[in-house]
Amino acid sequence: MPFIRKIHKWTSVFVGIQFLLWLASGIFFNNMDHTKAGGHTYRSTQKQVVNVDSSRLVDFKEVLEKFKPSVSITPTNILGQPFYLLTHVKGLYRNFENEYTLVDAYSGEKKVIDQSFAQQIALKSYTGPGNIVSTELITGKIEDFARQKNATWQINFSDNIYTSVYVEQGSGRLVGHSDEDKRFADFFFMLHFMDYSFLGGEPGFNSLQIIIFAFVTLWLSLTGLIWTIDLGLRGQYRVKYFSKVQGVKLFDKNQKSMGTVKLSNHKNLLDGLIEHDIALPSTCGGGGTCGRCKVMISPVSTPTSADQLHFTDKELQQGFRLACQHFSTDVEHMTLMDVTEAKKHALVLSASRFVSPFMKELRFKVKDEPALPYKAGAFMRFFIPAAKGVSIPLNLPENLKPHWHHIDHLEYEHLACTRSYSLAEPSTNNGELVFTVKIQTAPDHKVIPGVGSSYLCNLSLGASIDAIGPFEEFFAAPNSTKTMVMLGAGSGMAPLKALIEEQIAINEKNKNDAGGNNRPIHFFYGARKESDLLYAKEFYQLALEHEYFHYYPTLSQANDEWLGATGYGQQLLELNLDNLDSIDNLEFYLCGPQSMMTETMSLLKEKGVQESDIAFDVFS
Amino acid sequence: MSLLKTSRKYHKWLMLFLGVQFVIWSVTGAYMVFFDIDYIHGDSLIENHQTKIDSNKIDFSLKQLLIRYPDAEKIELGIFINQEVYRFNQEDEKFLVTASNGKQLSPLTESEAIAAAKHLYTGSGEVRDTELITDNPPFELSRRVYSSLPAWRINFDNFGSPSLYISITSGKLLAKRHEFWRLFDWMFNFHMMDYSDGEIDNWLLFWFTLFSIVAAVMGLILTYFRVFKKETIAAVSQDNVQGGSV
Repeated sequence: MPFIRKIHKWTSVFVGIQFLLWLASGIFFNNMDHTKAGGHTYRSTQKQVVNVDSSRLVDFKEVLEKFKPSVSITPTNILGQPFYLLTHVKGLYRNFENEYTLVDAYSGEKKVIDQSFAQQIALKSYTGPGNIVSTELITGKIEDFARQKNATWQINFSDNIYTSVYVEQGSGRLVGHSDEDKRFADFFFMLHFMDYSFLGGEPGFNSLQIIIFAFVTLWLSLTGLIWTIDLGLRGQYRVKYFSKVQGVKLFDKNQKSMGTVKLSNHKNLLDGLIEHDIALPSTCGGGGTCGRCKVMISPVSTPTSADQLHFTDKELQQGFRLACQHFSTDVEHMTLMDVTEAKKHALVLSASRFVSPFMKELRFKVKDEPALPYKAGAFMRFFIPAAKGVSIPLNLPENLKPHWHHIDHLEYEHLACTRSYSLAEPSTNNGELVFTVKIQTAPDHKVIPGVGSSYLCNLSLGASIDAIGPFEEFFAAPNSTKTMVMLGAGSGMAPLKALIEEQIAINEKNKNDAGGNNRPIHFFYGARKESDLLYAKEFYQLALEHEYFHYYPTLSQANDEWLGATGYGQQLLELNLDNLDSIDNLEFYLCGPQSMMTETMSLLKEKGVQESDIAFDVFS
Repeated sequence: MSLLKTSRKYHKWLMLFLGVQFVIWSVTGAYMVFFDIDYIHGDSLIENHQTKIDSNKIDFSLKQLLIRYPDAEKIELGIFINQEVYRFNQEDEKFLVTASNGKQLSPLTESEAIAAAKHLYTGSGEVRDTELITDNPPFELSRRVYSSLPAWRINFDNFGSPSLYISITSGKLLAKRHEFWRLFDWMFNFHMMDYSDGEIDNWLLFWFTLFSIVAAVMGLILTYFRVFKKETIAAVSQDNVQGGSV
């Protein structure tokens, strides 16, 4: 399909304008007045009846011997007079090249069609109010009658539509009338047939340009058809008005019934379930790319390409599907594999401050609800509405402005979307939800900045936004006493910060209660510059206060004033790994960009760390 | 709703109903422009003989003709295969008479018509069958020649199943057809959505074209956004986040 779409897109660039010209000229032909378009406005329809006196006719034999050899002799009458038309060279059609002699049928004398005779013929056929203004013999191409290839008199009249009458010089045949109306129609024919023969070349509709355009158009329309069929098969043609509400029986993953919910087939299962406050995990927002909204449906319907990407053949046979790819019409029973307690909440912004030149800490309160409990490391999905955005944050503090100097001011519009952000503090009773959000700047001016981060960071205090969650997919292993090793980079410290604060609180509680074991925590944190080290002061402070907490900041683009470690977080981890604890007694929590993940995973594998001892959270 | 979103929605829905016609237009249009129109018209099927009239062979004069056919009108002297002939009308009837001895040839027999057809035909194939067309002319024959009927239809056993129509009264070639032209006629009718009477000004075509213009304009807007104004699209894919905070 992506290939089909690409062809459709680029062929439409190529033939787009011509496509409109075809349609516009087509609708013109459909509505045009045929008399006008044929140039017949001032054309006489009268037929002249001529009484030929057969006894006066010259014998053919006599005529034949007098002139050049002929293929045929045909009787004709011009202006009421009988003539013989001798054809010496016969074209396949009248407008093809022919050679004639016109002979008076009574006298046997040759009749030359001179200017005045042509004018008389023209006048006889003309019913308009004009007079002859000019007469010209055209031997080359005739614009009004492009396919006429014989020498022709053009007699021009002085009427409102500039009628021209054409009389063939050799035969006296009336080729036709042309006027502004016909020329106007011919203009549309020219556009429709791409017949630009006035620039040279043969008239007609077999020009190279139209053959190329027709060929490309074939690809355009056929890919369009395939696309439409594909849309149909994927259930993308659903009308809200006609949508049916269908009851679907739900089961949890232990096959315990959860009752029946009514779902409209106008929305996919993922979106439909949210209306019943049942949230399936999803980070892509229903695009079929994250593969998190797994359900098992019955009856088993045809899998989409997204299903095939995320499930094995065996799973597909069992009925595993992505909820975002299917509709309630497909389904009678549905087993929810992974339901989060997550619900949609309205959050109100209570504080917003910069914690680094490009990062903000945002504090929200849940509107009209008690505090949300969640495990540290959880994230929430924000519903970013369509809005106007700016590339540089509003209310940028004076001291941060130098950091934004290289960013061009840009205003843009963006569509609604969803974005997920991790909670940066553990769950507390005061009901505050804290996020650290990095404002994604655009790599170049062709791309607009991250719309989710910009939108959130420019939100004014007291403003409300919908979010769903919290989703708990990254959290501390329960009932573990192993040493915690955390590795974060950039803004990927938010969930780790929550985990650290949570664990410190537990350690402190244990200390007071029983004076028991304090789990050691090692936090490796990489950033580019010193100003990017988030909450540096707070972490230094924590390390001073608690002997079990170790903070290892490192910079990849350090300046001379930096006295600490340099390089990436994973490099610093590698250097220290052997000194932390025995490998079996380490538990890893990773959060950062894909490249950091890949490097760290292979490092840990090399060192023999069990996969069950690694928790990770990737962000892109 | 944004212009982009509106366009996508209407383009998608309109094309659900118009899409097949767009395919028909482009397939039939492509057929009509790919094939050379002179070939379609069967010009290559016909030998354009330039046999000249030999006045020495005209032993049956115009005067003699007028004596035998006193009401003859529109008398024409020409060639039929290789002999000089008179063609004329008398009281709504058409005649073909040799100029050498005044023998009346019309109406042509089947074998004479075959001879005439073979004389004109450039192909190598043999005659497969013949048919006398009087009334109920076949679809492929244009109305213009209806008045010249009856005619012999000579079908050749050749590539494209060529047929030549020879007038039974004048011996002239009335029409030539082969599969490429027959197909062209079908294509032409489908192209202008003419499923009945051969007129271009039908309402079906009008409404389809009108909606098609709307759909095509929407499509062009989509193209504009996707190709020339990428920023808005990129907005959706930038900062596509998972889990971690960005």
